[in-house]
Amino acid sequence: MIFREVEDRDLIATARQGNVEAYNLLVSRWEKRIFNYLLRLVSNREDALDLSQETFLKAYQNLRKLDDPARFSAWLFRIAHNEAFSLLRRRKPESELSEPRPRDFGGRLLPIELSLAVESALKVLSEDQREAVLLKVYQGFKFDEMAEILECPVSTVKSRLYTALDLLKTTLAPAVFRKDGLA
Amino acid sequence: MSCKLQEGRPDWKAYTLGEMDARARQEAESHMAACSDCQDELAGLRVTLDAMATLRDEELPRRIAFVSDKVFEPRWYEKLTQAFLRPSFGAAALIAAAILVHAFVRPVMVPVNTTAQVDTRAIEARVTAQVTERVQSEMAAAVNSAVTKAVAETEKRDDQRTALLLSATDKRYSDAADFLNKQVTRIYALNTGAGVR
Repeated sequence: MIFREVEDRDLIATARQGNVEAYNLLVSRWEKRIFNYLLRLVSNREDALDLSQETFLKAYQNLRKLDDPARFSAWLFRIAHNEAFSLLRRRKPESELSEPRPRDFGGRLLPIELSLAVESALKVLSEDQREAVLLKVYQGFKFDEMAEILECPVSTVKSRLYTALDLLKTTLAPAVFRKDGLA
Repeated sequence: MSCKLQEGRPDWKAYTLGEMDARARQEAESHMAACSDCQDELAGLRVTLDAMATLRDEELPRRIAFVSDKVFEPRWYEKLTQAFLRPSFGAAALIAAAILVHAFVRPVMVPVNTTAQVDTRAIEARVTAQVTERVQSEMAAAVNSAVTKAVAETEKRDDQRTALLLSATDKRYSDAADFLNKQVTRIYALNTGAGVR
């Protein structure tokens, strides 16, 4: 038999038979992406870590309900999305009191300052817009996969993402154009 | 100058996000070559996306703990059902049934030509079942071995990463200790005149 790298679908099949090691390997493949997606959504490391743990636990418990192993990534992010928004809904009254404002980054920006400016600009977006940006720009999902994760039409996905990009462009303009010496 | 296409203007966001098919891309690019408004829009989007790319993924503060838990293992009846549903089990059951039926309904033994007694279908079924079972077991063994190998490699990488982090921390600690020692010696020398000629 020609040796091939173990693919997610092999690991899923093995994990479905009760092999926890196979599932652990799946976790190690996906934990960084899930953690960073949740971190940018909820903006708190401990919460993001707890939510990641919950996501992988729920995924394991429901692994047999996954119809098509090829859709594992979208299915996993759907679980993570549900976990994050469940927390965000509980947090709502508190977050509504403190509306984030973009930070002022005057002068020439270092790369680290630029990434802080981006982080700050992302927080200005609504949760739906931010999530659309995270799934597309940072996780590389296609529009139809995003629609599956967010359980909404592709047109809604595009609308959220496009509005978010316009806002980011405006918010980041002073920082990026100063850095490039264009202003 | 504003874009003359207005409504039919290329979707530059879809273009930069890789959601445009090859033909639409080509059309958009040929339009852009002559449209400064679209060039500006595309440049602005690219600069924004480049800035966003400076935000790097963070490492997990600790690995996701996922330990073996009997609660999540398949229950005895699930294992039994899975075993019954395997093709090899079905083939074996068919052969067993065929042997039983044959034992009960076979005609009285009459000495006839031995070649006429050979049941080619049963042999074919048995051989097919054996081959199927062998292929399945070898495939399962290969997948299990690949999973074990991949798990071992991941653990090895984690161990190496931990060792590197520990060694870097030790070095930082040792450098800091050296620096502090030198500072203490220097201050002591300044205060007491020790070592000063």
